Amino acid sequence: MAMSQQSGILGQGAYEERGENARLASFVGAVAIADLVKSTLGPKGMDKILQSMSQGQNVTITNDGATILKSIYIDNPAAKVLVDISKVQDDEVGDGTTSVVVLAGELLREAEQLVAQKIHPMTIIAGYREASDCARKVLETVAMDNRADEAAFRNDLLNIARTTLSSKILTVDKDHFALLAVDAIMRLKGSGNLEAIHIIKKTGGTLRESFLDEGFILDKKIGVGQPKRIENARILVANTAMDTDKIKIYGARVRVDSMSKVAEIEEAEKTKMKEKVNQIIGHDITCFINRQLIYNFPEEIFADAGIMAIEHADFEGIENLALVLGGEITSTFDDPKNVKLGSCKLIEEIMIGEDRLIHFSGVQLGEACTIVLRGASTHILEEADRSLHDALCVLQATVKDSRVIFGGGWPEMKMAKAVEELASKTPGKKSLAMEAFARALRSLPTIICDNAGLDSAEIVSNLRAAHGADPASRMGVDVVLGESGDMNQLGIFECFRVKQAILTSATEAAEMILRVDDIIRCAPRRRQ
Amino acid sequence: MAQTFVKKKNESYKESTKKKDVRTTNIEAAKAVADAVRTSLGPRGMDKMVQSANGEVLITNDGATILQKMLVQQPAAKMLVELSKSQDVVAGDGTTSVVVICGALLKKCQELLEKGVHPTVISDSFNKAATKACEVLESISIPVDLADREALLKAATTSLSSKVVSQYSNLLSPMAVDAALKVQNPANPNMLDLNDIKIVNKVGGTVDDSELIDGLVFDQKTAKAAGGPSKMEKAKIGLIQFCLSPPKTDLENNVIVSDYTQMDRVYKEERNYTVGLVKKIKASGCNVLLVQKSILRDALTDLSLHYLAKAKILVIRDIERSDIEYISKTLGCLPIAHVDNMKPEKLGLADLVEEVEVGKGRVVKVTGITNMGRTATVLLRGSNKLVLEEANRSLHDALCVLRCLVQKKFLIAGGSSPESEITYQLSTWGMESFCVRAFAEALEVVPYTLAENAGLNPIQIVTELRNLHARGEKYAGINVKKGSITNMLEENVVQPMLVTSSAITLATETVRMILKIDDIVPTR
Repeated sequence: MAMSQQSGILGQGAYEERGENARLASFVGAVAIADLVKSTLGPKGMDKILQSMSQGQNVTITNDGATILKSIYIDNPAAKVLVDISKVQDDEVGDGTTSVVVLAGELLREAEQLVAQKIHPMTIIAGYREASDCARKVLETVAMDNRADEAAFRNDLLNIARTTLSSKILTVDKDHFALLAVDAIMRLKGSGNLEAIHIIKKTGGTLRESFLDEGFILDKKIGVGQPKRIENARILVANTAMDTDKIKIYGARVRVDSMSKVAEIEEAEKTKMKEKVNQIIGHDITCFINRQLIYNFPEEIFADAGIMAIEHADFEGIENLALVLGGEITSTFDDPKNVKLGSCKLIEEIMIGEDRLIHFSGVQLGEACTIVLRGASTHILEEADRSLHDALCVLQATVKDSRVIFGGGWPEMKMAKAVEELASKTPGKKSLAMEAFARALRSLPTIICDNAGLDSAEIVSNLRAAHGADPASRMGVDVVLGESGDMNQLGIFECFRVKQAILTSATEAAEMILRVDDIIRCAPRRRQ
Repeated sequence: MAQTFVKKKNESYKESTKKKDVRTTNIEAAKAVADAVRTSLGPRGMDKMVQSANGEVLITNDGATILQKMLVQQPAAKMLVELSKSQDVVAGDGTTSVVVICGALLKKCQELLEKGVHPTVISDSFNKAATKACEVLESISIPVDLADREALLKAATTSLSSKVVSQYSNLLSPMAVDAALKVQNPANPNMLDLNDIKIVNKVGGTVDDSELIDGLVFDQKTAKAAGGPSKMEKAKIGLIQFCLSPPKTDLENNVIVSDYTQMDRVYKEERNYTVGLVKKIKASGCNVLLVQKSILRDALTDLSLHYLAKAKILVIRDIERSDIEYISKTLGCLPIAHVDNMKPEKLGLADLVEEVEVGKGRVVKVTGITNMGRTATVLLRGSNKLVLEEANRSLHDALCVLRCLVQKKFLIAGGSSPESEITYQLSTWGMESFCVRAFAEALEVVPYTLAENAGLNPIQIVTELRNLHARGEKYAGINVKKGSITNMLEENVVQPMLVTSSAITLATETVRMILKIDDIVPTR
């Protein structure tokens, strides 16, 4: 049927899909994407292998919705919208990237049925909107805030971290990592600068051997013949060429008529270098860190002056380092007074696995810390890094907005209940859409149960009954025991902001896709 | 549980079959990799010949090396390769065992999955079992003192016994132990940096001729194009990072010669310049010169070699920049990057620097170093390249075993006795979990394979082992040489605890990861 190519209006190669077809295409695409990531949801969710089809055939193993969606091939506009909201969710709050896609998918699945019943998409949208407002209000009223009580707040953070990590690879050592993440975040003291937390990955050992270090670790080596340990270091962080100061004028060249003159020029170059090094030493420093190579000659001068010189600190490393040590990245050394030096209590070499690293402790930015991840393979480490990053993001979001709610499908049940009550009071076709909205919300706990291989119908209806009977019920899905359980006792908490973002962006995305009744595809650009 | 899952919706039923397929293919692929290296386990294990794409041949018994050379495509198979690599990083030995254990665990997983156990349940109980297994290992371990040379020797010998060089183990293992003890820093008792031990390969002779050298060995010949000395007593060694060649600026330079007389002058100047450099070197008292390789220009020219020879300075060229640190540490000298910095205090002192003929090639030995750092050099010999490389890998494994002992000072019995003990202990741990029992059974793959590779009757041996361990003989293991079961401690077959414990934990971690995967998604 009509993949209507209207004669002569659209250019060659471009085509248009209309009405029913367009809507169908977007429903199918969105639902397919949601189904793809559905199985990663919840503590018993599964992982995916992402196999790169380009050269190298790199393999990534992940549970993180955003990572999966980011890397798959998509050729469906509606699916792309879902990928986008997952990305936004990742940037905004860092977690819930799967949930947001799944919820949007479920909303669309419900909408599809309503459309089949000849309900106008606009009516559905209106119903969804009211339902979403109502759900958000409920969410706000049930949220708890423990900001005032520090111990309770820390406990909240720990619980949130544990809940986030429980669906990831780190689940077995979640207590260990939750503590790691919370300690790291607490060190930030609310400054919210995640860059001060440096994550280093080293193969070998097990995940449990990962640790938090109060200081900064740089994966570099100290030059030959230089001190390997400095106390109360004064550090100059620089980005300058330390091989030779080349005159960077195009075509500059030396014309001489004898060998000895070449030697003189070489000597002059050396002297220039030496002067530069002496200028640097003149800053009264004990440690010099350069982003670029430090060549043998300057290295020796530094060694003679008893200064530790670290070469080739990569770009990210050096920015972090400057931040952490409280110094500035310098490139000219004429004016020692105006240079802000970094400092730290102790620099020393440490060994992790087979590698030597440089450890800075007692740094100026007291917030800084390094998390060293250990694990059996690079796949595990990469995934651990992603999981930890998610946890840190969520914790940071919680520090900003300290409201928390229970997890395990509890907020969904609450919201669904309120939306259904609203539907029962609303006249008109809108109420059908509201009911559908409630069903979509309830499908989240259903999927969590399904993924764990539990009897989802039984558990979710029990939950519904519990929430219906007691408005203050704290029941949610207890995946471990396979039944409904008290979320407070189980310590399953989630961050309010994450849930709120999921709700709003999923509704918006569904709304947007529902509005579509025409897909126009442009002709691909010809390549010569 | 699974039934309700199926009943619910038609759609999810379909999906669950797909999941099963992905998991099965993953497990099959991983098992295939494990099977490939299985036969190389143990003292009677066989070697593999690996032929690389460019036609090079490699013969080895080392699991990590075999897997590294195998070009695997399947993602799960790749994970096994990674696994063996990380065992290599952590423990250095047991790279085959870790893959074999992983394969056996996956086989059990498949059985459990068929029975309808949820993958996360298997994953959790395997984790518990692995923790318990490590506890068992600790309970049967024997603390070792680093001063106890005998114990270290035993561990090194066990590690070498499965290699092609096993007949030389009485030569190589003391070598490994001495080298390790030499570089071990008493100030830092829990660390052993293997970078401080340099192994130099030289084809010719047999492995018997290998030696541990109290000093330093350079693979290079002395540079004596111009007839310089090749032996120097009371050497003062300078490690230079500058070049003894005509000057070259970083700016592009042209020397313009406009007439004939100028040409002569340029020649003369070049000579004078070189003489000047050599004189400065000589003035510092240096009589052995180590020259770092340079890419930008010639580190040495014929002319400078000639003058150095005249000044009776022994020259070794082409020192890699990465070796500088090691050399300066060993000789107690400092690298010199400019000729004006040639000062006597930066030189290293040694009694003798000598070029020695070794087989077909020559090496330079530096002995009697005055301020020697904590380093050691082993000169390995072998009749051909393949043997030599395998000997190198074996020695590295033995050194890794010693490093493990430095890190964790516990030994356990070898000959698959710890695995049998874990199997026994786990099966008596209680029947609380089906999966834990499967885990225990999977570990029996080690004695089974060991017996099989040795040509014994595996079923008989494994049954007997089980029986003995149940009777409390904790150290009973397979004596491959005698073809029977004996007490491993009496047979002096011991290995560091870290090797086995890391093999079990790493294998479990990988299995759990493979279990959790339900889909392979092609991406950009």
